[in-house]
Amino acid sequence: MIQRKLHFVLGKGGVGKTTMAAAMATLFARRGRRTLAIEMDAAGRLPGMLGSSGAAPTPKAVGPNLSVLSLDGRTALEEYLGLVIPVKRVLTTIFSSRVYQYFVAAAPGLKELMTVGKIWYEATREEDGRPRWDAIVVDAPATGHGLQYLSMPQVAHDTFGAGLVQREAGRVAALLRDPAVTAVHLVTLGEDMPVTETLETHAKLTGELKLPAGRVIVNRVHARRFAPELVARVRESAASAPGKQGELLEAVADRATEESGWAEINAEQLERLRNALTTDALVEVPFLYAEEFGSHELDQIARTLEPTLEVRTSGTGRRVRRGATE
Amino acid sequence: MNLAELVAKHRIVISAGSGGVGKTTVAASVALWGAIQGRRTVVITIDPARRLASSMGLDALGSEVSEIPASLLAGQGIEARGTLAALMLDQKGAWDALVERHAPADARERILKNRFYQHLSQAFAGSHEYMAIEQLCLLAESGEWDLIVVDTPPTRHALDFLEAPRRLDDFLDRSVIRWFVKPYFSAGWAALQAVNRTASFILRRLEQATGVGALAEISDFFSSMSGLFENFHTRVARAYEVLRGPETAFVLVTSPEEQVLGDAEYLCSKMEELAMPLKGVVFNRVHREMARKTRRGSVHEVDAGDFVQIAGAIGRALTGEPRVARELAQNFLDYEVLARGEQLRMEQFQVGLTDEVPVVRVPNFPRDVHDLQALARMHAHLFAAA
Repeated sequence: MIQRKLHFVLGKGGVGKTTMAAAMATLFARRGRRTLAIEMDAAGRLPGMLGSSGAAPTPKAVGPNLSVLSLDGRTALEEYLGLVIPVKRVLTTIFSSRVYQYFVAAAPGLKELMTVGKIWYEATREEDGRPRWDAIVVDAPATGHGLQYLSMPQVAHDTFGAGLVQREAGRVAALLRDPAVTAVHLVTLGEDMPVTETLETHAKLTGELKLPAGRVIVNRVHARRFAPELVARVRESAASAPGKQGELLEAVADRATEESGWAEINAEQLERLRNALTTDALVEVPFLYAEEFGSHELDQIARTLEPTLEVRTSGTGRRVRRGATE
Repeated sequence: MNLAELVAKHRIVISAGSGGVGKTTVAASVALWGAIQGRRTVVITIDPARRLASSMGLDALGSEVSEIPASLLAGQGIEARGTLAALMLDQKGAWDALVERHAPADARERILKNRFYQHLSQAFAGSHEYMAIEQLCLLAESGEWDLIVVDTPPTRHALDFLEAPRRLDDFLDRSVIRWFVKPYFSAGWAALQAVNRTASFILRRLEQATGVGALAEISDFFSSMSGLFENFHTRVARAYEVLRGPETAFVLVTSPEEQVLGDAEYLCSKMEELAMPLKGVVFNRVHREMARKTRRGSVHEVDAGDFVQIAGAIGRALTGEPRVARELAQNFLDYEVLARGEQLRMEQFQVGLTDEVPVVRVPNFPRDVHDLQALARMHAHLFAAA
């Protein structure tokens, strides 16, 4: 898995998609692979997470072996036209024309297509006779929209009449579907609705879209379970203990109940994923009890991901959690 | 003012915020509250994921308003004096409905079959959001509802949501449409060449480059739909009237996580710019800090230095279980760290809010909220007296 070149990270909002993309890119770079982290949102959080200030309209080095790029559909389209129409004066005329302004707006999907095309360009780009990047990690837009992007090359190939776009769209679509090159990872939480959505997305991904699924990463997994009878004993003592002591024990019991509750939900949902996704390795990223999320936390996640990405594609649900033996 | 008063005073409540913070759940819970309070309530979601349906105990929702049967509510021990209905928008269906409502009968079929239209209705960013607003206006104008709760798409899309009517209006600027509708478009390139060399050149280049050999089709689309776009401007103006009106309250739903709050700040500032200010804030999934519960003035922050003392206290309660005592102590301290970070961020966030904006905190329930009873349980936190 780690040898694949093009990694898309998908997931619904709020599950830690950008964090996972950043951790993955950090990990690849540390392994000596020349890595490009791409965000498909010109005002996203990925560059910040990797230590760069502000968006990066062109690949910008942020560390050893690691660069970041912010893509924007409109710019990608202009660049693309720049490649196919290499006369600057003509280009300027086109860009400033009202026809163009509205043509872009009137051809829905074109921007998405160009964005994915730009990723393809970076994935196939060579420098001094060898590929410019060993690995590309893409922080895709939230699930529904992200899938729209990934399916666009095929849609364009099928919809647009014969022409440059159709040819190129076909090439991009082929690359996205190549399991030796591409992996689409899904990030989720171990809760009912996110898991339901992930299962739907996964089915769509491998079915209708025929894209190579990567890992299903379950973020923020709670794993501590405290025996209810022990928690009850703490609560009993809390009732008889004086003032502050009682308050403290009460809070200890509350926290234990909360943690156990989440651990139970997470375990149940992980089981659902395990049952439904037979061929995919499931990755569990433990919940981090931090006051603030910083580079230390990102590092911790990268270390958790590392062994799980080494596993062969055919492996079944490799567990990350220490000592978990369910 | 508290959130109960805010909801009571408004006919339209729009829940806005990032994804994954329980926005859909809060919207559904507010709607359920309205129904319990005796209002004829409808909740609209435009989130493409079918999350609301499951929150409401429905298997699927269509682009029609569907009533949640009183028997279903009663079956879960919920006594509602009003009614509860839900509407989940299906993007494609909403466009088709719009065409059917506004396009001349003879053009309908042609529009629906137009390849460009099919593209537009599926992929045009903002069109989806616009349809939701259109639906909101329809429901607001129908007079059938006392409370309309709207669940918006996640933050960045929420902005699309608010700006969609204006953008669509710009896009459909009449002069541009006229441009596309000009006969030479339908007549093809030969005619165009005669008219304007430059335009012809540009268009041909664009067509070659993109392969969208569909200009005639685009032209046909606009010609067929011209009736539909006639009163578009008026409808957009009306939509903004509703969104900015005194009957409408935007409620921000956010978790206290730092990245999520960052998005929330951005959303708030954008909404100010759009003259649609926030009227309430719901912090969802909050961890409470224990030390803050003690008497005022004696705020003592528990930290890692207290581990031995805490583990000792637990150990005395759990004789014979020293290992569990230490684990419980560590778990407690971990949650304190988490809670402290959240507390600081929420305080910081609230600095920017005026006193009239009610702020509620809903604790991080260790359970999924996805049935009606769970939605009802949220009421104790959402609508507690301030």
